[in-house]
Amino acid sequence: MKSVIVHPERCVGCMQCMPACATAHSEAKDMFLATLEDPRPRPRVHVGAGPAGEGFPNRCRHCDPAPCALACLPGAILRDTETDTVLIDPDLCINCASCAMACPFGVIRYHDDRTAPPGKVVAVKCDNCLERLGQGLIPACVEACQSGALTYEESDQALKRQTDQVAASTVAAAGAARPAAPGFELMMAVKRATKETNRTRA
Amino acid sequence: MPKHLIIGNGIAGVSAAEAIRALDPEGGITFIAREELLPYSRPMISNVLAGSADFSQLPIRGPDFYQDLGAEVVTGQEAVTLDLEDRTVTTSSGAQKDFDTLLIASGADPRKLKAKGAGAKGVFYLRSADDVRGILRALPGTTHALVLGGGLVGFKAAYGLLSRGVPVTMLIASGYPLSLQVDAEAGAMIQAELVKHGLSVEVGVEVTALETDTAGRVSRAQLSDGGALDCQLVVVGKGVWPSLGFIDPDQITVDAGVLVDDHMMTSRQGVYAAGDVAEHFDLARGTRWVNAIWPVAVEMGRIAGMNMAGRKVAYRGGLSRNVIRIFDLDVLTAGLVNPPEGEGYQVMARRNERLGIYRKLVFKDDHLMGATLVGQVEQGGVLMNAVSGRMPISGDKERLLEPGFNYAYLQPETAQAA
Amino acid sequence: MSYKTDYADLSIVTDTQLMLEKAAGDQVETVWDRFQAQQPHCGFCEMGLSCRICIMGPCRIDPFGEGPQKGVCGADAEIMVARNLGRMIAAGAASHSDHGRDLVEVLAKVAQGKAPGYSIKEPEKLKAVAAEYGIDSEGKDDLAIAGELADAMFEDYGSRKKSIALISRAPQQRQELWDKLGITPRGIDRETSEMMHRTHMGVDNDWVSILLHGMRNALSDGWGGSMIATEVSDILFGIPQPATSTVNLGVLKDDQVNIIVHGHNPVVSETIVAATQSPEMLRLAEEAGAKGINLAGVCCTGNELMMRHGMPMAGNHLSTELTLVTGAVEMMIVDYQCIMPAISDAAACYHTKMISTSDKAKFPGMEHHEFHPENAQEKANDLVRLAVENFANRDQNKVYIPVEPQEVVCGMSIEAIIGALGGSAGPLIDAIKAGKIRGAVGIVGCNNPRIKQDHGHVELTNRLIANDILVVDTGCVSVAHARAGLKTAEALAKAGPGLQEVCGALGIPPVLHLGSCVDNVRILVLLSALANTLGCDISDLPVAGSAPEWYSEKAATIGCYFVASGVFTHLGPMPPVTGSMKIVELLTAGLEDVVGATFAVEPDPEKAAEIISAHIEKKREALGLDSRA
Repeated sequence: MKSVIVHPERCVGCMQCMPACATAHSEAKDMFLATLEDPRPRPRVHVGAGPAGEGFPNRCRHCDPAPCALACLPGAILRDTETDTVLIDPDLCINCASCAMACPFGVIRYHDDRTAPPGKVVAVKCDNCLERLGQGLIPACVEACQSGALTYEESDQALKRQTDQVAASTVAAAGAARPAAPGFELMMAVKRATKETNRTRA
Repeated sequence: MPKHLIIGNGIAGVSAAEAIRALDPEGGITFIAREELLPYSRPMISNVLAGSADFSQLPIRGPDFYQDLGAEVVTGQEAVTLDLEDRTVTTSSGAQKDFDTLLIASGADPRKLKAKGAGAKGVFYLRSADDVRGILRALPGTTHALVLGGGLVGFKAAYGLLSRGVPVTMLIASGYPLSLQVDAEAGAMIQAELVKHGLSVEVGVEVTALETDTAGRVSRAQLSDGGALDCQLVVVGKGVWPSLGFIDPDQITVDAGVLVDDHMMTSRQGVYAAGDVAEHFDLARGTRWVNAIWPVAVEMGRIAGMNMAGRKVAYRGGLSRNVIRIFDLDVLTAGLVNPPEGEGYQVMARRNERLGIYRKLVFKDDHLMGATLVGQVEQGGVLMNAVSGRMPISGDKERLLEPGFNYAYLQPETAQAA
Repeated sequence: MSYKTDYADLSIVTDTQLMLEKAAGDQVETVWDRFQAQQPHCGFCEMGLSCRICIMGPCRIDPFGEGPQKGVCGADAEIMVARNLGRMIAAGAASHSDHGRDLVEVLAKVAQGKAPGYSIKEPEKLKAVAAEYGIDSEGKDDLAIAGELADAMFEDYGSRKKSIALISRAPQQRQELWDKLGITPRGIDRETSEMMHRTHMGVDNDWVSILLHGMRNALSDGWGGSMIATEVSDILFGIPQPATSTVNLGVLKDDQVNIIVHGHNPVVSETIVAATQSPEMLRLAEEAGAKGINLAGVCCTGNELMMRHGMPMAGNHLSTELTLVTGAVEMMIVDYQCIMPAISDAAACYHTKMISTSDKAKFPGMEHHEFHPENAQEKANDLVRLAVENFANRDQNKVYIPVEPQEVVCGMSIEAIIGALGGSAGPLIDAIKAGKIRGAVGIVGCNNPRIKQDHGHVELTNRLIANDILVVDTGCVSVAHARAGLKTAEALAKAGPGLQEVCGALGIPPVLHLGSCVDNVRILVLLSALANTLGCDISDLPVAGSAPEWYSEKAATIGCYFVASGVFTHLGPMPPVTGSMKIVELLTAGLEDVVGATFAVEPDPEKAAEIISAHIEKKREALGLDSRA
């Protein structure tokens, strides 16, 4: 089964996945029109920043077993086994934030949403873009990502690719090849050095 | 074909039964249920009290739960005696149930109010769905309610009653609000939020006696400071105590709760315990502890069930944690909140008045031991997991206090695909 | 237990740290909060790999090579980065040069007698500059010369000349090199306008060609618009002379009406200075219960006033909001550039009145009082009166002035430095030749929340002066150095023995305040004078430039005109060029063979000091001087 794979080392922090996700979960499916909706659609993927400002696309991993589902008081979080997706039922959700306490990735947000009864604040998170998958589209965050930080592929394939990369980087470390994106490495190196420079030394 | 007997149909018992069934399709499973027929979400009763959920939402499993699971249930009965030689349990109706493996998941009972008139009508606890039914029935005619105790239950009761439009006075015997869950600063923020919405709080005062009207209903409370307060409703929130009255401590080792090993087994072979009644290990405190909270009951129940079905699975330990939403204030705590002095704990806290958030973190060496978050609690699970997973926090610990803190902050410098 | 945000990681400045704490308590959002909220920054934009120039796009290029490698038009990483950098330079040049134009307009109005608040303060400089423009002053009165000079300077902005006038100040070799490279600036507006044209889709798609024009565009500012701004400011408002003043938030007075001027152009603030000193205003202040009217500056408007009037300065770029958090400011009057639009939000938490003055710079939450040369005097009086009236609204309970002011020696124009040297650059050259002074570095630029405030400046300077390298500063750096006490006689103790001896004998501190950021041209003039005396090019001198905490487009342009003029230039923050390693390579190495100078990027000031010192020693060696290389 294909799933969204996150490659944080590839994230440039552009946040384009966020409006794409919000739009995918809007009524209009159009970014501009979506901004006019009430409630305004919000993203389920969140680009956080690492200590030196590294981008990090944070998205539900649809864990199995899912800690959020185990912690959910009203039993509103269930796994859809067919798509291997952990889903929150907005009608059952009581906005108690027990899942906030459980999610090891911090990907759940609490707000009103067009999928919930009007005016009700509920827990909201990634639904693997089931609506889009049903239309033969890939998840919106992956479609928006231009740097390869989010891919949609068979997970064993992703694993193999990663293994290949590790192997390649070992060769590179032996002096054979330059890193894949020297400009990006350079920028990140400057950022980390800046962070280190700013740190007050005792 | 083994017979599994489970005392209690709360979340620990249910989680255990489901874990057993996943591994053992054939074995017999029997529940002894004291309260409702269908297992329900105990923490949610305060939402029902507040009106944000109703009774129909309480059950955590469907009406065909027992049938689907292939389990039997005896309801309205509790365990009275255990015969560990014959391997039988006698219930309050005199029925005898035999077992090969037994799970004690009898939960906990509220600590009783020890004051004159404590048995009056209009005096309630907030522990069961029935308690909430009683409180709701008593609301008409209530112009002022007393909540005894400044713990979580007290706050949930006060919040629920205020949400129903009832003026509430909370009496806290000592310390400050939520002193077991949060530090003084967060406690003050929580109190301020409740006071803003009409709560009166008095610290250092206890009820000495309750007076009743002619119908036997509470009408007035005499206080330890010599004063008195009119009230038609009293909710007692003085904490809970493991329900282990039916256990002979000479046969099964008992401390505060029933002691269990890493496989949730008690001192007796084949007898397990899980949930609010069980005493295992607290990861942050590093000591035996009864963590009488829902998520730990889920974890313990699953572990107990797997072991009862013959798969040796160990539990690493539980962690205190709680999240409450009080009007516009969210409070989340995990692990050690108020560490003892002089034992090498490092405490960092930061309050951001503009964003209305407060964060306090407790470290020991390179490990996060506890966290308190007021406002912006979405990343609480990340911190909780760092505590329970004993994830080493290298370098700058202060960054965990920053408003932008997120999962990426815990990543090693060369992030790998996740 | 630590209960506070570690403000020491945000700024080395005590008053900033204390005011950040007050801001947190007063629930005032600051630039650091907003910086945090922007994390992570967009990597495409940070690398120069996003393009919004046309609406076939917007486009971006995947730095990892798998996603798109060309924009819709076909621009690759080199073209995209070069176009973006080119437009950045154009915007910086436009800003400083337009500031210069505003001064020329005042000069023209003065000549016409239509600017009652202004006059010619420096007739000798007027004549000297007029002569450089080929204007014969013989038998003409000052106003007539001023009129002709204004016209000639307006010509420099146009497109009818082969080259702008003041490049004649550069060494002959340098001018010839520019000609050879085809980067001699022809007109100030022309080069900016041409840059916008070249970077339109489908015009200049040779990245080297775009960047060469970027240097020409920058030179049109450095030897054109900015230089005009400085020279005309000197003519109208006086050539700065050494003076002492004070700096940091301690310059605010809890018992006086505090007025802060913010921005860059002295045209408005000069009239405010006069108004605050008028007996009528002082009487009004007294009636309002204030002990006087205290005028202080922030940013470069502050520098302009400090240079010419010894007016105190409250802070630099990142301190602007915090100045208001003191709760002691009755009025902030802004002109333009580097005024954060959020500053009125900070003011709204206190009684501070916010005033905008320029038709080209309006802000949310500010009252607009438009200044023109014709009405400036009258407007200035109106504003000071409003400020005095606002004193009654101050809530003394909210006032917190956290520190005592720091003394500073200011006003080191080139004329003043030459004066201090005894009338010629000779003693400075001798000291450099003798190795007592190893070289000189111009540290310029801004603050940037990426870098701990002032750390980049002060740490670098401490290390340079300890290595007997003379430091001159402008802009927001000048406040950093002043706050750190580096522009006092006592600071000589931090200098190496040679620098200590020379500066001690001349009675100057080891760090010299040259003015605002537009005054970076004073450095060009000084370097030209040194090179001409030595008979070499600027690129041969043991000197360097540095912008350790730069943030603005203007700074990008300054960096480019420094390098194009032959000055090796260090940058703290990385410019948005890493999307193209070819361009990184050109800027940090390749340019050496083109203009005899390069950029170096190093956020750590300790390492930057080593890089700069090594460069200076290398240049000394090439000149045949003793070298520690």
